[in-house]
Amino acid sequence: MRTAIIEEVYKIMKENKDSYFLTGDLGYNTLEKIEKDFGNRFINIGVAEQNMIGIASGLALTGKKVFCYSIIPFLTMRCFEQIRNDICYHDLDVTLLGSGSGLTYGILGSTHFALEDLAILRPLPNMTIFSPADEIDAQLGVRASKNFHHPLYIRIDLREKAKIHKQPYDFKFGKGVVIQKGKDLVFFVTGTLMEEVIKATKIIKEEKGLTSTIIDIHTIKPLDIDLILKEVEGKEMVFTVEEHGIIGGLGAAISEILSESKKPVRVIRIGTIDKFVKVIGTRSYLRKQLGLDTEGIVKKVRQELL
Amino acid sequence: MNSLDLNKNSHEIRKLMLESLRPKESHHIGCSFSIVDILTYLYFKELKVDQKNPKSQERDIFLLSKGHAGLALYATLCQKGFFPQELMKTYDQDGFHMPEHASTMVPGVELSTGSLGHALPVGIGFATSFKNDNKKNRIFVLLSDGELDEGSNWEGFMFAGHHHLDNLTVIIDKNGLQGYAETKKVLDLSPLKKKIESFGWEVKKCDGHDFGSLKTVFKQRQSLNKPRMIIAKTIKGKGVPYFEGRFDSHYKSVDEKTKQEILNKFIKL
Repeated sequence: MRTAIIEEVYKIMKENKDSYFLTGDLGYNTLEKIEKDFGNRFINIGVAEQNMIGIASGLALTGKKVFCYSIIPFLTMRCFEQIRNDICYHDLDVTLLGSGSGLTYGILGSTHFALEDLAILRPLPNMTIFSPADEIDAQLGVRASKNFHHPLYIRIDLREKAKIHKQPYDFKFGKGVVIQKGKDLVFFVTGTLMEEVIKATKIIKEEKGLTSTIIDIHTIKPLDIDLILKEVEGKEMVFTVEEHGIIGGLGAAISEILSESKKPVRVIRIGTIDKFVKVIGTRSYLRKQLGLDTEGIVKKVRQELL
Repeated sequence: MNSLDLNKNSHEIRKLMLESLRPKESHHIGCSFSIVDILTYLYFKELKVDQKNPKSQERDIFLLSKGHAGLALYATLCQKGFFPQELMKTYDQDGFHMPEHASTMVPGVELSTGSLGHALPVGIGFATSFKNDNKKNRIFVLLSDGELDEGSNWEGFMFAGHHHLDNLTVIIDKNGLQGYAETKKVLDLSPLKKKIESFGWEVKKCDGHDFGSLKTVFKQRQSLNKPRMIIAKTIKGKGVPYFEGRFDSHYKSVDEKTKQEILNKFIKL
């Protein structure tokens, strides 16, 4: 997915001579083409994220369109206040390209995981949060960013072959996409866990004869409230699935909406719990350990259906 | 404009500031008065700005990193003619848009600040953009000495030196007092000049209340290819005997009666 995103960013930068790409000294083997072709519009700021966000803001205040790249915790947590005060308060045209959604970095351990990023960025006024499920989502989102001139966060998964959408569709930030239609269960999903959810719903259908609706919530903020309210109609419970903590992410956002609605519906949040992940392993191993793989999701649904 | 006119302007700015204080509420008084002469020099002598066209493409950029001295910036902009004096009456007032910390809601303010250590990186962004586009606009960022504790500034010092941003000037308001105690006592910055020079900057020192001294350092630029720092020695509360040199003038507000007494004494100065 990262390759697809960087290619789309490249296209924007080729066309828009007033665009800049900043990196916090990361992106080896990924950003070389941008560096080579755009001269001083590519700046390696050094390992200094506060400075990077400040510089991005200064550039944007002179009318530039700026992309900032780093690994998610460094890009969003180290310099959170710069994002809040400098980018968001001034409503600037800065896109944060955060690499490594959820447990992407696997064996690298907790410092590199992104399980709180949605929770901290969601409360920021003017911020749009984009979390693609596959390369098509990602491409369409970056393309849409061409004519978008406000703070934008793109949560990049390093999974290169995630295939959910069969073809490009009419994309809009803040508009969820129906991936499959069913009668009984509803899943709101963000990011590449979508693959696991699709497989899980097949097993549930075989086991229980229940069919599921799956919605790709690629934009966490603004949330597609109309679609969510429509899809929960007549349902006793709905599931949210994300590779992020259950505190503050997609599940929390949907719970907030539904708790103030008149819909009598339970929200079952599937995500990581309120504990640091201390076990070591590849991403697929960790997903399994944390109940986020296909079997884990099926198990959770079985429990709730009892 | 000679020193006499600068003195007149800085006096008017101080008066405006005193008049604008909201009794029992306004804080950050002393630290606002310490930069009045620097701001007067900048806005009436150094900066290329157009009060009739605040967003002019040719303007120089001034960023107040020590956003808590917003009052001094507002009063200077007002004196320069960016907005009518009437607006100063809304400072710190309920329901209006002139907060204690510098805000872009006020005409002429380029960046909203208030948390320390933000404006230098933003200034570097401006400087980089202008340099790459071969534009002549210059950038001035005013920081407090206590604010230099923030690591983000040092990220900025390294970057600006490395990239030879000679369109950037940082001014340090060295009043020697910070949030809880004397700067020397909290985290001693000395030798600041040597430290910053070692980052590839040109550094000059001056008296931040003497227009002659300010003029000398602003006009004598020696090294091209380097960003510049001007360390301006200042006095907290400068110009208002009631506040001058007082540590607590950072926090304490004054009541209506005291405000009037201070103002009456000041007018007679």
